[in-house]
Amino acid sequence: MARRNIMRNSLRSALACFGIVIGVVAIASLGILGFTLQAGFMDNMGDVANQIEVTPASGGDDPMGGTPTEDTLSDRDVRDVRQAAVGASVLPVKEEVVEIEYGTSSVTRTAYSVPEPDALFDAEEGRVPAQMSSGVLVGSTLAETTEVNVGSAVTVDNSSYRIVGILEEEPWTAPLNPNFGIIVPEGELRDEEYSSVIVEDESAEAANSTAQRIDESMNRRDDVVEVQESSEMIENIQEQQRLLNLFLIGVGSISLFVAGVSILNVMLMSTVERREEIGVLRAVGVQRTSVLKILLAEAALLGFVGGAVGVAFSILIGGVINHFMLEDALMVFRPANLRYLLTAMGFAVGISLLSGAYPAWKAANKRPVEALRG
Amino acid sequence: MILELEDAVKRYDSGEETLTVIDGVDFGVERGEFVTVMGPSGCGKTTMLNMLGLLDEPSEGTVRLKGEDVTGLDERERTRARKESIGFVFQYFYLIPSLTAEENVEAPTVFSGGSGGRAAELLEKVGLGDRKDHKPNELSGGQKQRVALARALVNEPDVLLADEPTGNLDKGTSKRALEQIRSVCDEGVGVVAVTHDERVKEYSDRDVQLDDGVVV
Repeated sequence: MARRNIMRNSLRSALACFGIVIGVVAIASLGILGFTLQAGFMDNMGDVANQIEVTPASGGDDPMGGTPTEDTLSDRDVRDVRQAAVGASVLPVKEEVVEIEYGTSSVTRTAYSVPEPDALFDAEEGRVPAQMSSGVLVGSTLAETTEVNVGSAVTVDNSSYRIVGILEEEPWTAPLNPNFGIIVPEGELRDEEYSSVIVEDESAEAANSTAQRIDESMNRRDDVVEVQESSEMIENIQEQQRLLNLFLIGVGSISLFVAGVSILNVMLMSTVERREEIGVLRAVGVQRTSVLKILLAEAALLGFVGGAVGVAFSILIGGVINHFMLEDALMVFRPANLRYLLTAMGFAVGISLLSGAYPAWKAANKRPVEALRG
Repeated sequence: MILELEDAVKRYDSGEETLTVIDGVDFGVERGEFVTVMGPSGCGKTTMLNMLGLLDEPSEGTVRLKGEDVTGLDERERTRARKESIGFVFQYFYLIPSLTAEENVEAPTVFSGGSGGRAAELLEKVGLGDRKDHKPNELSGGQKQRVALARALVNEPDVLLADEPTGNLDKGTSKRALEQIRSVCDEGVGVVAVTHDERVKEYSDRDVQLDDGVVV
């Protein structure tokens, strides 16, 4: 009966439904978009959360009037880090600006050296050796711009090397980011001192306490080193994204609210139009609660149909978003996304019921004799 | 008496003025009796019918249904009493346009388990057996009135109240509608019809003249 009543003014009902569809799509797809952004970020950044970067404390002039703070770390510093970071792998990094010649061209870039590069990097092409001896690894952006391949020869500051691997793109939150540079064997760089030390721990939590230990043991008297955790930065970014997500969903909710108002309008119009019918039903012995139920059922049906269509559209849109951002359309079916879809659906039915409640209550409580006065 | 008004008064307050529409009416209908209430427009016929049908409460006086005082019942109980004992036929039929004839007849029963085939039987009886799947807009005025009559009878009422049952019908269809109401009456249902159509009198057992809220 509720369905037929809705069909009676199908255009009006369809428009109200359409409002709900838009609202649901807005909430769900904005939610999915936000979550996908987050997931995409975590895919990139997640694997560096357990890394710590230890760099020389930057301080410029010593306030005590002593020697200016050094901008490199000595072997002693590295040993201190090792002592503080028991159980984690400690990778001292050297870096230097070098001239890289390939084919007939050349560029000036940073060259890094690090023991066990395979602990930090993965290869896009070729391989990352555990110990570098005669080959070099090229960062992803540098490889793209120079169009060099695995196996080709390059000259770094007059020494020749063969490229053994092209690196995968490293997230910008990574402590050591050689996207624009090159990784050369240890000992090839003239510098005796280290630019930074990367500490890789088992987990983000472990990295957190290790960072604290390093800070406490090395900076007891003066600020010798600066300890930066990737996880801290990642947490900050995640917090920002969570806020952005809430904002997006808030915008979506407004449109669903507007849809609710349009359902209120449809239900009011429809109860005014059907005043006499409702009066007759009441006259022939249909209880108020039954009238209330049928009108609420109509509102809920509008909300449900609108919600279902909206959810279908949102899955479609979410699939497209996921396809382009994460290269897997089926990621849209992850639990967090399903939660958005369910929430949007619940909102749709809830708002419809809420806006149907007043007209329904009004119609059901009208005295039949008034309704029938013509 | 199946349904009666005892010294019923109905007043409407409109600001400072009080309008007395029904002024001390005693009226009753027996089982199987057809009573016509005649009177000019505005004499209080419909108000009287509404009080009889428990749609409106008298300001003073008593309404008795099957000998029981039903004056002070609350809305829920009155609705139940209407459902169990009273059928209505209106001048404007008030059929639900989205439902077929049969569904319209069934409408009063859908919230209590349906009519169990009685709707189809009633339509058969009023001569609309072949029209039961038609929507109201596919039916003529006379046919609509017969659907409305069938709807009024679906709950097996003890009394049938008709407000201008011929008001929207031409002479031929009026005759047919009145014959059918008469036959309902012959099955033991009390009928009260309020009208200003003189022809209705021909089918009734008794007629009452109402003028300015008083029976004359």
